[in-house]
Amino acid sequence: MTTSRNPNRRVILKAGVAGGTLAFLPLWAGAAEAACATLRAGITGYNVINTLDPGQATLIPESYVIWGLFNCLLKFDEGMNIVPDLAISYETPSPTLLRFKLRDGVKFHDGVEMTAEDVKFTLERLRSEEYASPHKSKFAPISDIRVIDPYTIEIETAEPFAPMLSYLTNTRTGSQIVPKHLLENGTPEDFATNPVGTGPFKLQSYEPGAALTLTAHTEYFEEGLPKVQTVNIPLIAEESAGVTALLGGSIDITSTAPFADIPNLAADSRVQVLKKPGTNSRFISLNNAVAPFDDVHFRRALSMAFDRQSMVDVVLFGEGAVANGVIPSSISWAAVKEQPKLTMLDPEAARAEMTKSKYGPGTEAIVLTWGSSWWKRFAEVFVLQVNQVLDVNFKVEVSDSGTVYQRMQSGDVQASIWGWLGLVDPDEYAYEIFHTDGSRNFENYSNPEVDKLLEQARSEMDQSARGDLYRKVEAIVIEDCPILPCFESNVHNLLAAKVTGFVQLPYSAFGAQLATVDNC
Amino acid sequence: MKFSALIKNRTALAGTIITCIFLLAVVFGPMISPWASGGFDFLNVLKPPSWQHPFGTDSLGRDVATRVLEGARISLMISVSGVLGAMILGITAGLFAGYKGGWFDAIVMRIVDLFFAFPAFVLALFLMVALGFGVTNVALAIMLVYLPLFARITRNTTGIVRNDAYVQAARVMGQSTPRILFREILPNISAPILVQASVAVAFGIVIESGLSFIGLGVQPPTPSLGVIMADGQEYFRRAPWVLTLTGLTVTVALLALNLLGDGLRDLADPRLKARDA
Amino acid sequence: MPPHESQLMPQGLKYFLTRFIGALITMLVGTIVVFFVMKAAPGDPALVVLGDFATPETIARFNSDQGLDQPELIQYFNWLSGIVHFDFGQSLSVSKGEDIGDLIAYRLPSTFIIGIYALTIAICLSLILGTLAATKRGTLVDTGATSLAVLGVSMPDFWLGYMLILGLSIGLGWFPSYGFVRPSASVIGALHSGFLPALAIAAPMAAVFTRTLRTSLIENLDRDHVRVALSFGHTGRFIFLHHVFRNSIIPYIVVIGLQIRYLLGGVVIIERIFGINGIGSLMVEAAFARDYYVVQACAVVFLGVVLTVNFAVDLICASLDPRRAR
Repeated sequence: MTTSRNPNRRVILKAGVAGGTLAFLPLWAGAAEAACATLRAGITGYNVINTLDPGQATLIPESYVIWGLFNCLLKFDEGMNIVPDLAISYETPSPTLLRFKLRDGVKFHDGVEMTAEDVKFTLERLRSEEYASPHKSKFAPISDIRVIDPYTIEIETAEPFAPMLSYLTNTRTGSQIVPKHLLENGTPEDFATNPVGTGPFKLQSYEPGAALTLTAHTEYFEEGLPKVQTVNIPLIAEESAGVTALLGGSIDITSTAPFADIPNLAADSRVQVLKKPGTNSRFISLNNAVAPFDDVHFRRALSMAFDRQSMVDVVLFGEGAVANGVIPSSISWAAVKEQPKLTMLDPEAARAEMTKSKYGPGTEAIVLTWGSSWWKRFAEVFVLQVNQVLDVNFKVEVSDSGTVYQRMQSGDVQASIWGWLGLVDPDEYAYEIFHTDGSRNFENYSNPEVDKLLEQARSEMDQSARGDLYRKVEAIVIEDCPILPCFESNVHNLLAAKVTGFVQLPYSAFGAQLATVDNC
Repeated sequence: MKFSALIKNRTALAGTIITCIFLLAVVFGPMISPWASGGFDFLNVLKPPSWQHPFGTDSLGRDVATRVLEGARISLMISVSGVLGAMILGITAGLFAGYKGGWFDAIVMRIVDLFFAFPAFVLALFLMVALGFGVTNVALAIMLVYLPLFARITRNTTGIVRNDAYVQAARVMGQSTPRILFREILPNISAPILVQASVAVAFGIVIESGLSFIGLGVQPPTPSLGVIMADGQEYFRRAPWVLTLTGLTVTVALLALNLLGDGLRDLADPRLKARDA
Repeated sequence: MPPHESQLMPQGLKYFLTRFIGALITMLVGTIVVFFVMKAAPGDPALVVLGDFATPETIARFNSDQGLDQPELIQYFNWLSGIVHFDFGQSLSVSKGEDIGDLIAYRLPSTFIIGIYALTIAICLSLILGTLAATKRGTLVDTGATSLAVLGVSMPDFWLGYMLILGLSIGLGWFPSYGFVRPSASVIGALHSGFLPALAIAAPMAAVFTRTLRTSLIENLDRDHVRVALSFGHTGRFIFLHHVFRNSIIPYIVVIGLQIRYLLGGVVIIERIFGINGIGSLMVEAAFARDYYVVQACAVVFLGVVLTVNFAVDLICASLDPRRAR
């Protein structure tokens, strides 16, 4: 069962490594990189990439790279508005029918033209049992896919399904268009490490755990893009190391930045700090089925017993914003605009609320946490404040994300720190977390009124009406308090002083953002 | 080892004094400190050292000096309990092995060799993966790392003295083996063992803080020294004093223990050269 | 008990064989211990790999694919026979599906090079400091050198690493604080990027070497044969090199051999801090990712390296001084 690598690939990999490590040569050694022939863009905070097959990718760094190699029918702009990508235009003749007009002359990395057949193939592959994509369920509402002509395709859903448009954008939903002619007889083993897409870059080499090298796709459909010929992507596990590498001149861009360093870096002339509210939501998940979180008054008391702004200041070093609900503010058309009273610190009201519950001072509970330092701090800050205000005895227990996830799924948990990153449709947040059947509803929360509204929102094709429905849902949910929404964090990119052309997106489409960089 | 001899040797004296100061600080410091140990102060986050906060404040506004003293207590406790466990089991095994010889000795030594074939930190890391992290398991890991060391030293020195006059006399008088081992032999070979014990406690603290530092040992919010340093590492560029001063404290503590160990070694039988771990 | 003199086998060869077989047995027992202890670890490889997709059917399929449904003894033998052919299996999560042997082969050289670099620095430093301390015994130089040595063993190596970063990297900007350039790409780059990590590992070792060398030299300086040589009119330097140093070398080499254990241990954290892609950081990553196969493999590799080095050191010492071949 050992996959044997052929010698040719080893040679290529070694060449790629040599190329990649050249990026680390210190300046004084006299090896300054040529101006912008090679962009060095580090992925920081992660270093594991298992697959670059969009239908199978689940890890964030995988998505970062996939964004540079593939396109979707649509994509988001900086304001999280849907704009064309491979599809020039789309129309909705009926609530269950989406018709896309595709660009012509789009070439895959191997020179073959992309047509509607590839789109149909991509979607059917995602829906197939055999391929077993983690994103399969998202495309289950599709009932039929019809190729009208090589550049026109119709997608029909069984019922009106508003999120489908979001799922067809270039995010982490797996719908990047893959080449039918290479995959129609099954996915070859090496597609995961030698992917072929239509994106601005081609993968030249990949050194697991270390670095990737991309080269420009000369036949990319957007004129003049990409502006750089070669991109070196070192995988730097420690964020702070990425900062040092940037300051030292070994890399030009980082994909993230440590919250603690932002103020210092903003004042540093060697680096430009880009920041934007991110599409993410961090909250405290309470298991509504077990004590002491089975009492709504107790939950409400908790909600008023800590100050979210100081949480942002202390946990994120100020690099974030208080969350008014679970839908991030960057999805502006659906997010709650004002901070609900129940999420504001009010010690007296909290204590009064607690007396209405069956739990009082001295109540014990364990809050699970995991992961990097700021996640652990998140739990600590919550517990410290709540213990002080309500005189309860909560404790933090550190575990790892896999274990916590399992425990949440099996219900073997009281409370835990949790969050979602990079989901782009409010349905993914609200429906999945609050609906009785939601796939992310680990709180055992069930409110039929909320369920009805969420189902309605799913089939409401008018965006502003849809947004209002989600706000109604969140208003009810805030009273029920199944979770305690806390904050959303900013996304950051660090750029070396002379880098220009990099545009930040709230969900960090790193690979795609590299295409417009013109100066390094 | 006489007390007066201890005072005369400068290194041992310095070591003892610093160790005592340190122990006093660790035991009484958190009590007399004006800062609550579990306190937090969100308005005074990451402040540099000042008169109020000699070590500055950390990311939650806690006084670092108080935390360090608490952490030192925890780290010391972990290291000492691990080393004590290692001593109890290791010395017993070593005494019997050195005295009896034969197949028991051979087996014990083989096991010891096996443990010695793993680098100490790698062994500790491996054990943490196998046992899971947390305070007790770190102590357990330290115990398993040092057990073979004490077994070997005890066995070697027992082997050297087992045919000494007083041992033979005890045998002739019909004393039972355990009595001979623990009452006669052990006190006479205690010197190199104690030297190793001080070194072991010192390095045990390093192992614990190392494991906790990378996140595989003691977990927050328990403030062991490694946990405090891990916290300090996150914002090292912005507030380097947390990591620096915590580590400096560890260095001073270890310095004291090492000096003490050196002094003991000088005072003890100079021919009994204990090997460095 | 002295070894039985055989007429057929010379003493040296017998020594060699005994130690070699001993090392092999230790290695074998080591693999058994590593394997079965890892089995006791909390967590399930199936859940680690399958994550979200773990259902009873997928778990059962995974377990049969990986041979995890067989009795543990059989699993051990399969694993052992794999190891003998350098097949350590495939990674669960650190690099899903990748051949662990490839992963290790890629990362071992970095550890090796940093290790040699650290050892070199430690030996150079200790030769200078130890000799100075011994020859200028009792003076300020001696006190200075020994104080440095005690300080060296008192600093946690990762703390020293950060202090070096603070001073020499963030402060003066002389060295990078992250990443290691492989010598295959650039020798100067390797020396430059590897200096701080190597120094952080070397300091405690240098301290121990210095103390040993100093003690050893002092002992030998007092010996009779030195006085005799002096009376013959040999120069101080000649005596030093040929009599004193030569006899002090052996305990020095023994200590170096013993410290290899420490070196490999220190490498683990230092690699993590400085972002060096070596075996140490691989083991830490695997520990976090619950990749039991990789952790096992790393433990076995460390075991093998230490045993090999011990064996080599024994041989060197035996050849330098036949009396040591006990």
